[in-house]
Amino acid sequence: MAAPHAQNPSKRRGAELGAYATLSIISIFCAIPFFWVLLASIDGNASLFLQWPRELTIDNYVRIFVKEDGTRWLLNSLFVVGTATLIVMVLAGLGGYALSRTRAWWKRPFLYTILLIRVLPTTALIVPLYKVLLTANNGLGTVLREIFGNGPARQILRYVGFIDGYLGLILVLATMQLPLALWIMKTFFDTVPRDYEEAALMDGATLMQRIRRVLIPLALPGLGAAGLFAFISAWGDFLLPLILLSSPELQTLPLGLFRAFLRVNTIDYGFLAALAFVYLLPAVIAFGFARRFLVQTFSGGVKG
Amino acid sequence: MTYEKRVSWQLRLILLPSVLLLFAFVIYPAIYSVYLSLTNEALTGAAALNPRFVGARNYIRLFNDPKFWNSLLVTFLFVIGSAVIGQFVLGLFSAILLRRPLRLKPLFNSMILLPNAVPEVVAGFMWISMLAGGERATLSRIVAFFGVEPTDWLQTFPLTMIIIVNTWRGIATAMILLTAGLSAVSHEVYEAARMDGATPRQIFTRITLPLIAPTILLYMLVSTVSTIAIFGFVYALTRGGPGGATELISIYIYNQSFTAFQLGYGSAVAVVALVFSLAIGVIYVRVLKVEV
Repeated sequence: MAAPHAQNPSKRRGAELGAYATLSIISIFCAIPFFWVLLASIDGNASLFLQWPRELTIDNYVRIFVKEDGTRWLLNSLFVVGTATLIVMVLAGLGGYALSRTRAWWKRPFLYTILLIRVLPTTALIVPLYKVLLTANNGLGTVLREIFGNGPARQILRYVGFIDGYLGLILVLATMQLPLALWIMKTFFDTVPRDYEEAALMDGATLMQRIRRVLIPLALPGLGAAGLFAFISAWGDFLLPLILLSSPELQTLPLGLFRAFLRVNTIDYGFLAALAFVYLLPAVIAFGFARRFLVQTFSGGVKG
Repeated sequence: MTYEKRVSWQLRLILLPSVLLLFAFVIYPAIYSVYLSLTNEALTGAAALNPRFVGARNYIRLFNDPKFWNSLLVTFLFVIGSAVIGQFVLGLFSAILLRRPLRLKPLFNSMILLPNAVPEVVAGFMWISMLAGGERATLSRIVAFFGVEPTDWLQTFPLTMIIIVNTWRGIATAMILLTAGLSAVSHEVYEAARMDGATPRQIFTRITLPLIAPTILLYMLVSTVSTIAIFGFVYALTRGGPGGATELISIYIYNQSFTAFQLGYGSAVAVVALVFSLAIGVIYVRVLKVEV
């Protein structure tokens, strides 16, 4: 224990009280910004300031889903982030397995590269990334227009386009979560003994059967951790949708919240707070599940 | 083909999709940014149609650009203030105090962890209310208790405020890592020190700190690179203002590239940020002797 068990009981109580006081201050500092969002979201006359609602109402939430496009934003977010998370889990599951089992010369360079990729800030990559996606998008657009004509091509691009289309955002979001997920899965498979696979191999199972029947069941906890972290990080991302999306139909929750806030003259704090809460909730739930994996993941870098 | 060989090809094959994605959206853009930074590439105007190679001109301009140096300084102060001091000190306090068997421990723990889950835009939005101007804003009301005059916090102390917000977001990260570090220190060491009559203060500075030094270093490196990458909540709060006071390098890159539409110049700034982060990454791998 860092704290000494002082022989003197009054001294010990004093230390205990000090601990409570310090932790209370830190906790209140952490919790206080949440109150406003919670209270304002159920307040009929919400303002920028923290106040006790005079009348409780769910009107703000109703407005998000009925009058404004909140349903679409939420579905867009769930679709984009959900698909990206799924891609990350599949690719990291396969890739992590390969990285754990291979004895090839490229194993160490590859792992070091992944570590270094993790430190590259997305903000610094965004400009060339935008150019790359723009070029790819223009190429794809030309091809699609050749085949389907102008109108249908635009509709298709909405889904498979790299700029202002679902596919581009999904792939980039997934890629940004991939290094950590690969690392988690590689570390995870390192702890799974090879005996199981070898037994399956003896029974004549193919690679795909081995993965489906043996490895996926064994890897579920690791995949859960990798998926949760990918989801939380992609869900909270603001820069990529800000740069890659412009159509209102594709707008996700962070953009909806940000743009609703920019309507300076008609800021409706109750609506914004409710929207912020809707956006916040899935992240908090996912974080609750991810809690027990936090330690391993953060220190994963050192212990390997 | 031998069995061994087939397995080794299969492993390569299932790693391939990850490699392709990482190459297309991270490695190639990182290399391409170096090329872009040597051109006058733009989003609009003549340069957009016909970008030219301009050599080191962007870097010369960068060197003489006070706004660039300002953004480096702001980023530096932001990292020192929030990651190195704010999050670390509060995280260390929390980690040490939460080792006691306190009854409210789970509650404290959850409350400290909560900000970590908040998406960036929501964080910015919550703090706009906290830091608003006027007597009725939350921070103004709290400090009024201590006789401090209310002010428009984001206008008067912009950098300090975003440091406070980022501290708020990251106490949990520091706490989690340092808790892991602390729990690796054995109880006997403390017992022995106490037998020898060491004071709590001596125990902390002579035993706890040195023994968790590697964890502290790991935390510093990890939090420094992740703090350099911060964009969302600061952009939502201040958009870099007022007058560049919170223009972190990430916001400067964004403003140059997507507000001023100068992709070439924005890339030059981005290359600087990439080099910095890579350097820290290499230190991280080498100093901590990461095992792979």
